[in-house]
Amino acid sequence: MTNDTLATQLAGLPVRLLHHLAKKRVPRHFRMGKNRLIQSLLTLSPDQQAEVAAALASLLQESAHLPKPEKPEKPAKPQRPPDTPSRQSPPHQRQTVPAEPAISTKALFEGIGVPSPQPFKPDDWQEEAIDRLVTNDVILSVPTGSGKTYVAVEAMRRAIEAERTVIYTSPLKALSNTKLTEFSQMFGADQVGILTGDRRDNPQAPILIMTTEILRNLLYDAASGEIDLRLDTLGLIILDESQFLADRERGVVWEETIIFAPAQSRLLLLSASIGNPDEVAAWISSIRSTSCHLIHHRNRSVPLRAAYLDPSSRLAPFFRTRDIAHGKGFVLHPETNRLFANYEEQTLGPRRR
Amino acid sequence: MPPAIHPVDLLQVLRQQRLTPAIVFLTSRRACDEAIASFEHRHVPIPTTRSAAITQVLDKMIAEYPSITNHPLIPTVQDYGVAAHHAGHLPSWKIAIEELMRQGCLDAVFATTTLAAGVDFPARTVVITQSSVRKDRDIMELTVNEIQQLAGRGGRRGKDYVGFVVVTPSPYIDLGPIANGLTNHPEPIDSQFVVSYPMVLNLLKAHTIDHIQPILQKSFSQFQLNQRADAYETKLDEVETQLETYGQRECADWIAQWQSFTLAKKRRSHHRLKTRHDPPEVSAQLAFLTPGRVVELSREHAIVLRQYRSRGQGYAMLTIIRNGGSIVEYPANAVTAVIDEIIDIAEAKKFPWSTPQSLEHAIETLENFPTRLRRLPIRVDQDGTENPILTETLSDEFPCPTCPSRPACQKDHPQAWKLRQEEHRLTKTIHALRTELWHRFQQHVEVLQQFGYLTPTCQLTPEGDWARLIRINHSLLITELIRMGAFDGIKASLLAGVLASIAHDDDRPASFHGRHPALVTTLGQVRKVAHSLAAYEEPPLLRWDIAAIADRWIDESTLPWNDLIHSTSMAEGDIYRLLARTLEYLSQLHGLRATHPGLADVARDAMDLMRRDVLQELP
Ligand SMILES: Nc1ncnc2c1ncn2[C@@H]1O[C@H](COP(=O)(O)OP(=O)(O)OP(=O)(O)O)[C@@H](O)[C@H]1O
Ligand SMILES: [Mg+2]
Repeated sequence: MTNDTLATQLAGLPVRLLHHLAKKRVPRHFRMGKNRLIQSLLTLSPDQQAEVAAALASLLQESAHLPKPEKPEKPAKPQRPPDTPSRQSPPHQRQTVPAEPAISTKALFEGIGVPSPQPFKPDDWQEEAIDRLVTNDVILSVPTGSGKTYVAVEAMRRAIEAERTVIYTSPLKALSNTKLTEFSQMFGADQVGILTGDRRDNPQAPILIMTTEILRNLLYDAASGEIDLRLDTLGLIILDESQFLADRERGVVWEETIIFAPAQSRLLLLSASIGNPDEVAAWISSIRSTSCHLIHHRNRSVPLRAAYLDPSSRLAPFFRTRDIAHGKGFVLHPETNRLFANYEEQTLGPRRR
Repeated sequence: MPPAIHPVDLLQVLRQQRLTPAIVFLTSRRACDEAIASFEHRHVPIPTTRSAAITQVLDKMIAEYPSITNHPLIPTVQDYGVAAHHAGHLPSWKIAIEELMRQGCLDAVFATTTLAAGVDFPARTVVITQSSVRKDRDIMELTVNEIQQLAGRGGRRGKDYVGFVVVTPSPYIDLGPIANGLTNHPEPIDSQFVVSYPMVLNLLKAHTIDHIQPILQKSFSQFQLNQRADAYETKLDEVETQLETYGQRECADWIAQWQSFTLAKKRRSHHRLKTRHDPPEVSAQLAFLTPGRVVELSREHAIVLRQYRSRGQGYAMLTIIRNGGSIVEYPANAVTAVIDEIIDIAEAKKFPWSTPQSLEHAIETLENFPTRLRRLPIRVDQDGTENPILTETLSDEFPCPTCPSRPACQKDHPQAWKLRQEEHRLTKTIHALRTELWHRFQQHVEVLQQFGYLTPTCQLTPEGDWARLIRINHSLLITELIRMGAFDGIKASLLAGVLASIAHDDDRPASFHGRHPALVTTLGQVRKVAHSLAAYEEPPLLRWDIAAIADRWIDESTLPWNDLIHSTSMAEGDIYRLLARTLEYLSQLHGLRATHPGLADVARDAMDLMRRDVLQELP
């Protein structure tokens, strides 16, 4: 078979089958688009090319018995970077190219700057969370950097005013230390204590910081009758970074903590965005004496934009639109597509041999 | 073109576009360190006024954390306004960098992607250079959750009108997953509940065994299992409704009866057909291994195309299709897990046992599978009667040939039998989903009874009563070592060394010179015990070089921290974490002072000796 006929035959195949042919023959084929795949298949050693031709022949034979696919392979999809394998995300999640023109790099970087200081005004969701905590457990699942800490701090303040104690847990000791400093500045050093496996600093303070494991252990001790007096007056348990519930090794500790949390304490779960906060809320509602109120939104308080930076220092907008749209698929910027294709061409090309 | 932009050029672009301060996520610690070093090579210092501001903040931090006084990276931070932040650094150094970032003193921090949750400081811009990470030796694509954790650090509330994600390519990047991660909904999370020995002991300390099941019912795990079970209940209802439409026949269970009848007939004609007795794990699975079922074979997923018996020995066999499309024959016992997922497969009479369209569909499905799929819990019946329908006694006398229902039975049986099997499968699945946790709990109970931590009536023995206080990984090994007196009269440094090697679960090499005989002998004994327990608890790595680090730190009580870290190739941050973890383990032994005062005292000594220098700066 001549190279040309092979080329035309390859060109007639869907990308998926090209990947199939390239498997084990073309390094990092999974990063290539159709044209690049064909090219690299054509530049294989004669032996390997013969293999490809044979495999191709059997594929074609097979497909001769198949009914023709209903929808023909779309000729070109300019919105997809040529090197993105199609399996990365189902096609329906991508947008068709919209009518408006792609944004310019200049427009992408407009509006950078520091806002003038504003008097602090809590967001509605922050107030809602604080109010709800009077009677309910609360899950706060909002984007990173939105101000979950404000809710935690206000809730702590209220608990202390009501002469109740607060336990604040984080998954990492490093975060515990940061919070110790932060809360000490807000409430006064005498108001905040920290418990670790081997050390108890100011353990009688109304606010106690610890890792979730330590709290779980306290709860086990309490359940077996070795009552830790503080648990009686415990008004609020804050579980920061509670998406750790899904951690392979440690997730179970969050479950144990929530199951054994004293009935009279309110639970406040702070979490980065997760896919099913409603399910977690339904679970907690189903096992606790009060229902668990979910506060969930995906609006970032500071809008986020994305750019692509080429190793040659050229910048381009990453997406076709200025703002990052959520849940509606994406269209990469044509310039980014071009630059990245070029990058792949140059970096992958010579390495193949 | 270089495979990635040079860090100095990167920062220059960011500065030009007013995109600083930035967090640059890189693939490895080493990449972060090299990025910092490259600023010195190119020598592009920041204005002295800014350096002065950095010095001021650093001085404050040094006053609080003396361990960073002479940190080798201080000059770089001061001169170039950049820093690295990763797990190889001391916590105090990381805190100092975070403070500098919060004060807006730095232009860029180079951090590793692996610990995004630990990077709790914002910046105007986040730079992403990779779309996959190394996790437990596998290269895994970043999840939507992870990408959003990274990107979410961009844009500081109150300090920025707008935040940025800058994607810049490296050999580990593909744009698809990143674009998807930035725009898509995060993945739902699944419970990772596991039953552990300390959990069992602590629950049984507070509750009697008949109260345990309701407690397990409260877990998120059971909540999610119940949701799956509920979905199966609905399916089961449908199947049962369909079965009802066949109405009354002459005999009570005509489907089983007709099945036995046809089997008996078959037997008579081919008497060589043997039924083989499968091991219980295999026969429990067989009902689920029907065409279209997704299964796990050691590390990969595959789809079942057909189930059959091998000709000679009558082994249960499967024809399966693997990722990539190869069709292979496997013994059923090669299936490591049954996945709670069935795809539509149109069966065919001959190889490859399904229609070409179905094969295409199977290949596509396999390619698109996420790496983690839900397993189907399968209960192994101990009594062996795995399928009451099939084990119906085959008597030679059947009323069927002369029965008035015969034509109806003959006609309906193939469909009805399928439904009946489906009913059976669903019932088993639902049962397994509802009782899985309880079953796992019971397995742990049995082990604890066998070792004498629990009485036959599931109360804590005196041994169990103290053992429940050891609530760390490898708890069984530790309590067994205590019981057999392995720690009697042990030196504080040796105890810490042993615990360090039990606690440490990283197998990255760390050379260390200082092997001494007592340590090696003790670890040899511990290893023997660990292996004897392997059926009940995964043995720890028990590296002597790791043990030696902890041992030396305690044994040489005037050894400066810097000398310790220079005696091994392990990173400072890793040594810190190792010793901090050892402290935790020691504190658990110290918790046994009521029953094991001698051991508790040694543990206390070890902790006191350990808590010096860097190790006493932070709680
Ligand atoms: N209502 C508000 N108005 C203006 N700024 C706010 C408001 N609430 C919080 N902030 C500021 O937002 C910043 C980020 O808050 P915070 O650290 O609590 O975020 P977070 O939600 O905990 O994020 P992460 O997911 O990273 O933990 C803080 O500097 C805080 O002062
Ligand atoms: Mg936070």
